[in-house]
Amino acid sequence: MILLRLISWPYARKHLLRTVLTMAGIVLGVAVFVGMHTANQSVLAAFHQTIDRIAGSTQIQISSGEAGFEEDVLEKVRELPEVRAAAPVIEASANTGAGNLLILGVDMLGDRSLRSYDLEGTDEAIDDPLVFLAQADSIIVTKTFAEEQHFAIGAKIPMRTMQGDQVFTVRGIMKPGGLANAFGGRLAIMDIYAAQKVFGRGFKFDRVDLALEEGVTLDNAVAKIQGLLGPGFQVEPPSSRGQQFEATSSIYALASNLTSVFALFIGMFIIYNTFAIAVTERRSEIGILRALGATRGQVRTLFLVESAVSGMIGTGLGVLFGIAMARGMAGYIGGLLSEVYGVAQSAGDVTPEPWLLGAAAAMGLATSLIAAVLPAQSAAGVDPVKALQKGRQQSLTAGENRTRRTWAMACAATSAVAFLYSDIGWIFYGGYLLAVLAAVLLAPVLSLRVAQLLRPVLATLRPVEGTLAADSLIQSPRRTSGTITALMLSLALVISLGGLARASYDSLAEWMRVALNPDLFVTTAESVTARSFVFPASLGDGLKAVPGVGEVQYVRSVRIPVKGAPIMLVAVDVESISRHAKLPPVEGDEATMYREAAAGRGVIASENFARLHGAKFGEVLELAGPGETLHLPIVGIVRDFSDQQGSILLDRSVYVRAWHDDSVNVYRLYLKPGAQEAQVRQAILDKFASQQRLFVLANKDVRDFVIRITDQWFGLTYVQIAVAVLVAILGIVNALTVSITDRRRELGVLQAVGALRNQIRHTIWMEAVAIGIIGLVLGLALGAIQLYYSVEVARRDLIGIAIGYAFPFAMVFAMAPVILGAAFIAALGPAESAVRGSLVEALEYE
Amino acid sequence: MSKVLLAALLFAGALVAQDPRQIIAEVQKRQHSDSQRYEGTLEVIGAGNKVATKSWTYVRIGSFGNSKARLQFSAPADVKGVGMLIVNHPDKASDQWMWRPNIGRDQRIALQDRSTRFFGTDFSFEDLEERDVDQYDFKLLADEGAQWKIESKPRKKSQYTYSYFWVKKDNYTFQKIEAYDAKGLVRTIDYKDYAQVKNIWTARTTEVFDMRRNSRTILKYDKLEYNLPLKDEEFTLQALRRGL
Repeated sequence: MILLRLISWPYARKHLLRTVLTMAGIVLGVAVFVGMHTANQSVLAAFHQTIDRIAGSTQIQISSGEAGFEEDVLEKVRELPEVRAAAPVIEASANTGAGNLLILGVDMLGDRSLRSYDLEGTDEAIDDPLVFLAQADSIIVTKTFAEEQHFAIGAKIPMRTMQGDQVFTVRGIMKPGGLANAFGGRLAIMDIYAAQKVFGRGFKFDRVDLALEEGVTLDNAVAKIQGLLGPGFQVEPPSSRGQQFEATSSIYALASNLTSVFALFIGMFIIYNTFAIAVTERRSEIGILRALGATRGQVRTLFLVESAVSGMIGTGLGVLFGIAMARGMAGYIGGLLSEVYGVAQSAGDVTPEPWLLGAAAAMGLATSLIAAVLPAQSAAGVDPVKALQKGRQQSLTAGENRTRRTWAMACAATSAVAFLYSDIGWIFYGGYLLAVLAAVLLAPVLSLRVAQLLRPVLATLRPVEGTLAADSLIQSPRRTSGTITALMLSLALVISLGGLARASYDSLAEWMRVALNPDLFVTTAESVTARSFVFPASLGDGLKAVPGVGEVQYVRSVRIPVKGAPIMLVAVDVESISRHAKLPPVEGDEATMYREAAAGRGVIASENFARLHGAKFGEVLELAGPGETLHLPIVGIVRDFSDQQGSILLDRSVYVRAWHDDSVNVYRLYLKPGAQEAQVRQAILDKFASQQRLFVLANKDVRDFVIRITDQWFGLTYVQIAVAVLVAILGIVNALTVSITDRRRELGVLQAVGALRNQIRHTIWMEAVAIGIIGLVLGLALGAIQLYYSVEVARRDLIGIAIGYAFPFAMVFAMAPVILGAAFIAALGPAESAVRGSLVEALEYE
Repeated sequence: MSKVLLAALLFAGALVAQDPRQIIAEVQKRQHSDSQRYEGTLEVIGAGNKVATKSWTYVRIGSFGNSKARLQFSAPADVKGVGMLIVNHPDKASDQWMWRPNIGRDQRIALQDRSTRFFGTDFSFEDLEERDVDQYDFKLLADEGAQWKIESKPRKKSQYTYSYFWVKKDNYTFQKIEAYDAKGLVRTIDYKDYAQVKNIWTARTTEVFDMRRNSRTILKYDKLEYNLPLKDEEFTLQALRRGL
């Protein structure tokens, strides 16, 4: 403690900028980790809270995927002696004249046995229950929402329903608490039979919520109800809901983990670099300490504690930044999930959980300590006699080089062997890690080689300054190797993320070209993915009769459980799809695949479904609908981007039969030759828009929507890229600051022997740009390897689609001037500091 | 009337009086009619003395335990047409359906929902049932001079665990009912303004008091008629949808 106060603190204070820059890597790594996880957790927690609050005292929920089921199921379960209360529910989100609302359609007669509606200003649930039931426009809102919108009883809320534009009347306002707090208070209650009409659900319920008689065990009840209803129904506690939400959220978690680990890894090299320099700088100090009786262990501990303290401060700052970042991210993730799943969550309480803070602290501390181990070891090994002599030891010894090379070769060779067995997950990831490790170990040697190659180029540009700059890098690789490694890792991350984005967009563009080729899409919402509202099948006949419409494809998309996961089932006329939007198979024969699927003898699975859920070509899938359980083989696998968790294409006729559901989410329209798209669109709107909720989207609108969603997904990638670039720039600034400080005497000598200030400036500038060039060269090389692994990680564990390898040349061209420019700008301050300082002080330095 | 006959009648009365089931059976027998119709006015007086008034028309065919009834709201305008069809059974709980013209749906009232309040009144859906005397066990608790106090316990599932009936001795009419569940007194029903209609003693006012909500509902009967020529076809879901 005394050593920390007397020795470490004055040193840190003297090199405040360097200390801050050193901590930046930790700050960023921890901030990304805490921020992303907190945002994710908050959104997820809000979702589960909504589920809990909506569930009330529900013990079991019965559903049939998203397809819903007929009303008689309610009567069947009500007959069971184990069931105390059963209440039907329709749950959907809708954009109303007063904003987006989660609407809960319930049977107001019996629902209070499961949920409590504590209403404002009255002891009644509703001001007049009979009026509420008698009037189809009745709606209850929460006090939060009412206050936000300045609503009182009798207020009107317009909404586009499947029966056209309607105005709903607020006939009850719920007090805050319980159900009213679900969905951040943006919740409305409506009679379930009115909700059926509003959302076009026919005579169907989304689910039935149950409470059991006392003494009945959950397992027994589930088994009995499942036996009664059959495999087409999911009978489970409310807590089982939200698998899809969790799956999506976990992808964010994985992506954010990778980024934060990478940021911390890069930060580790920056810390290592700084400490390595510090040990060299403080050799005489260490020597004095040792001469005064300090043991090797005390010296080692001093450096490790210094690093730990700096790591803890960095972690603390990182947590604060992370929380700030989470507040922004929570809204972003919530909005994105809302766009895709129609179940927006506004995370009210964005606070990191204790385990997260613990993990962040452990990560920050571990990173700092690991980074400081080698410099501390080196400090402990300092000979007091030699240390008190002037001079430095910045060059790498031949022994060091040999050891590094040997280890690097071993890592590279093992990684190459692992590549051959990369089908096995842990071998693949092990190989990935070893490849990065090999690059890290080789970085100093490679830096040296590139610097040697750069020397004649720099010497040609500026004979004196260029040579000095190159020699500085060649003679003191230890000073810059950490920074170059950090820069290399940052750039590799940028290349891999950029390449991933580019390949994804390329694949997506190809998929859209083939699969999204109808001229018009008739949807129930502005978003093609929204599934709250559904069309009746009868609308299809009406659309066919519109002049100019050639062919109409009926698409019904519902999420159903397949192989234990909620998978998107797309029911469509496969024969028509095979004529208009034939996706080539990744596995299977094209003609057979479409023929068998069209005949209802098989399904076509998406590549990501197969990959993420372990399905194989030819495997027989069990698809259980309320009316029939299908056992159909996968007759083909195609590259399809319809859903993140994968999709299954089934012929519509089979779906209608097994699910007793002929409703439609989207009508895909192909126009007759010569028909004018705008005219047909207007004709559809004129004919149907006044009768029901309906949107007609042009092909471009849908493609733009898909691209917008993809942009939002990659929005996070861009954040990661920004973090990587920022860390890289910080690394350069750090290295140069350290370098100039370290070379004050050398630069002073140069000035003393007649070097001009401009020559000193140019030397430092060129050295900085050279560091940038070396980092770029190594970063691009490692990036090319890293991109391969990233594509594989995406295929294996993130999106399940082989998006292909596409090196992001455009990004490299954009990045190169940024990095070199940043290096140059980073050199300006240190260069000025070097030339403007006192010559005497510089010569006395050390 | 000879003294012998009078004595016989008094003796018979004493026999009836000792058997609570017989008393209730006698109540039902004296109130028996093949059909009934009235126009009711409902006043719900909430805890805050807020009064809501509604009117309905009620028709019934058959009698206790084997009857069908319909009621259809006639006022105010925003509830007009809402109706209920009740089919009572001698051996089980009734079937009940609700019709909502604005939504165009009839809806079966589930057994589990029978304890809920009937459209915001202080009656429950179960209170609309007419159950046969054999669906209860009775116990004479007290002879209170002009009336008997009888305990009834339902044999079938009910929201009430037991009820107390006060039956007036001279005309075998219910004066008051107290209904209890496991937690205590739920509601009281007072029968008032008795008058004879076609020789049937009929309460012209029924007042229900919900003890837990501190709320009252007063139902007044107008244009009360018995034994009208009603048909079974008028007591179907189709008829309910058509309205009265």
